[in-house]
Amino acid sequence: MALLEIKNLHATVDDKPILNGLDLTIGGGEVHAIMGPNGSGKSTLSYVLSGRDGYEVTEGEVLFDGKDLLEMEADERAREGVFLAFQYPVEIPGVTGITFLRTAVNAVREHKGESPFDAMDFVKFIRDKASGLNVSDDMLKRAVNAGFSGGEKKRMEILQMAALDPKLAILDETDSGLDIDALKVVADGVNAMRSEERGLLVITHYQRLLDYIVPDHVHVLAKGRIVKSGGKELAHELEKSGYAEFLEDAA
Amino acid sequence: MPDGSGYMQPYLDQALDNASSLTGAGVDWIDALRRAGADAYGAHGLPHRADEYWRYTSLNALANEDFQLTSDAPAIGLPSLPHKLVSELSTYRVVVVNGRLRPDLCALGGLPDDVLISGLEHLMAAAPERLEPYLGKIVRLQDMPMAALNTAFLRDGLAMFIGAGVALDKPVHLISITAPGDGRMMVQPRHLVVMGKNAEATLIETHITAEGGSSFNNIVSELHLDDDAKLNHFVFQEESKTSVHLSGSAVSMGARTTYDSFVLQSGGAIGRSEIRAYMNGRGGDCRLDGVYLATDKQIVDNTTFVDHVAPECRSRQVYKGVLDGEARGVFQGKVHVLRDAQKTDGHQLSRALLLSPRAEIDARPELEIYADDVKCSHGATAGELDDDLLFYLLSRGIGRDDARRMLIEAFLSEAIEEIPHEQVAEDFTTHVRQWLARNVDAARKEM
Repeated sequence: MALLEIKNLHATVDDKPILNGLDLTIGGGEVHAIMGPNGSGKSTLSYVLSGRDGYEVTEGEVLFDGKDLLEMEADERAREGVFLAFQYPVEIPGVTGITFLRTAVNAVREHKGESPFDAMDFVKFIRDKASGLNVSDDMLKRAVNAGFSGGEKKRMEILQMAALDPKLAILDETDSGLDIDALKVVADGVNAMRSEERGLLVITHYQRLLDYIVPDHVHVLAKGRIVKSGGKELAHELEKSGYAEFLEDAA
Repeated sequence: MPDGSGYMQPYLDQALDNASSLTGAGVDWIDALRRAGADAYGAHGLPHRADEYWRYTSLNALANEDFQLTSDAPAIGLPSLPHKLVSELSTYRVVVVNGRLRPDLCALGGLPDDVLISGLEHLMAAAPERLEPYLGKIVRLQDMPMAALNTAFLRDGLAMFIGAGVALDKPVHLISITAPGDGRMMVQPRHLVVMGKNAEATLIETHITAEGGSSFNNIVSELHLDDDAKLNHFVFQEESKTSVHLSGSAVSMGARTTYDSFVLQSGGAIGRSEIRAYMNGRGGDCRLDGVYLATDKQIVDNTTFVDHVAPECRSRQVYKGVLDGEARGVFQGKVHVLRDAQKTDGHQLSRALLLSPRAEIDARPELEIYADDVKCSHGATAGELDDDLLFYLLSRGIGRDDARRMLIEAFLSEAIEEIPHEQVAEDFTTHVRQWLARNVDAARKEM
C-alpha cells in the first residue's frame, strides 16, 4: 500500500478551480518533487493535503496510509503523520517556541498512545534535535518565529518536522528567501530525516533546492494537473527550458 | 427631567430614610456630603444612554428590580479565594462584607508607624478630622451619578492612610464580599486611600459574591497621592453572574506620583470599572490597564478619564478582552489634555477578541487636547482569532480548542506580563487559563 494516493483531485478556492484532476502516488521512503510555474496550484496542493479551511475539494480522493485523508480535520491529519513546512511560517506573539513545540509533540505522542513529555524531559528531547539545526535555546525561549530571520524560520520548521516525526512531510517552497548557506543547513536537516518509512513531497519553483534534496521522482504541475513526470534529471531539463511549453500544452 | 429620573426615587428614599441614623450624622461636613450626594443623584437619576459615560451600559436591570439596601454584614467566614498565590502572600488583610468592615476577619497586626488602616465608619466616629480633607473631595459627583448615590449612603469601607516617606512592607489585600442572602440586595461600599508624600504601597482588591440571590454592589474609591507617592493597584472582579458590580474610582495625583492600576474583570451580569485620574502635579505617571473575559449575556465595561491638568505627565492605557456568547464589552476612554499640560505623553489602546458572531464590543477611545506640545495616540481593534495563526497550530497536531486557548491566552498575556507584581500576574494568568478551559470548549457548547 502506498503511503499517499491522490486520485483525480479537484479543488477550488473561493469557487475558483485550482486543482483540476491531479493524480499522484508516493510510497514510503520516496522523495517526490513537484515543480511548476507560479499559479499552477503548488501551494494549493499543500494546503488541501494539510486541511486548511477555505480549500474545497470538489472531486477525487486522497488516501493516506489507506485512510481517507479528506475526512480528517487539519489537526487530526497532523497527528496521523502529515506535516507541512510552511513557505511563510507565521509569528505567534505570546507563545514561546518551547511551549508550542511541547504542546504539539505531546498531542502527537498521546495520539500514538505514548506518554507525554514532562517539561524537563522535553527540554532534553528538543535540545538534541535542535543542536543539529543550529536552533539555539534563545530561539526556543522566544515567541514562535518572532523577529526570526528567514533562515531561522525555516530551521524552526525543520526542527518541528524532526520533533513531530511525520510519515509524510510536505515542504512548500522551503528554499524561498534562503541564501546558499542557510539552504544547506535546511537541506541537511531534511536529508537526515529520509527513511524507508517516510515520504517527502518537495514543492519548489526552482531546481536549486533539488541539488541538495535529491528527489526520486519529479513532476511538473501546470494548471492544476500533473503534466509530466520523470526522474531527477527532469528538474535539470526544466531549469534549461522553463515552464513555457507546459503552459501552452495545458491551455 | 432626565430619562432616568423615574428610576431614582426608590433608591433615594432609602438613602434619606437612612441618613439621620448613620454614624457621622450631626457632623456638619458629613451631613453636607451625604446631602450633596443625594442632591446630585436626585437631580440626575439613574444613568441612562444619553449620559456620555453610560452610552453603552444600561442600568435598567436596577430600575426593574427592587434592590434593598442592607447594612448587615452576615457572619460568614472568609471563603477560599479564587486566586492561590495572592491568598498565600503575607498581606495586611481587610475584609468588607456587604460594604461593612469585618474586623474579626481582618489581619492588620504589625502595621508600621504612621500607617493607619481602618474602617471608614470607625474613623468617622473616632477621628472625622482625618477624613475631612479627602472624603468626597476627590470624586466629582456631577460627573459620576452612581458615586453620588453611593455618597448619599456614605457609611463604611476601607480607610487607609500611608504616612509620608513610608514604603509599606506588605501589600494591603482588600477582600470585598457581597452576600445577598435570598433577596435582592444593594450595598454601597466606600473606600479611601491617602498616600503621603513619597509613600509607597500596593493595594490588591478581590471582589466576590457569596452564594445567594442577586446583588447590586455600588463601590466608590477615592485615592489621593501626594507628591512622589507610588501606588500599585490590582483588582480581581469575580462577582457572580447574577450581580451588578459598579466600581467608580477617582484618583488625585500630585507631582511625580505613580499610579499603576490593573483591573481583571470576569464577573457580574454587569461589571463596570470606571477610573478617573486627575493628574494635577507635574511629572506624574499613570497606567490604567485591564483584561476582561465575558460570556453569555454579560456586560463588561471599562470606562476611563485621564485628566492631564499639569505638564509633563505620562499616561498609558491598555485594555484587552475576550468576548464570547452574547457578551458585550465596552471601552470608553478619554485622555483630556488641558492647555497648560504641555509635554503630555498620553496613549490608550483597546483590543477585543470576539469569539462568537453574537458578541459585541463598543469601543470609544477619545483624545481631547487643548495643549499644543503633546504626544498622544489612541487606537481600538476588534476581531476574531487570526486564521493563519490558528491553522499553523492545527497543522502541528494541536487540537482546535487547545489551539484557540493558546492564542487567546497569548493575546491576553501581553497585557498581563506588564503587571509589576509576580504573584498577581501569575494568578491573573491562572484565572485566564481556567476561564478558557471552561468556556473555549467546542464539544461542551454543542451539548
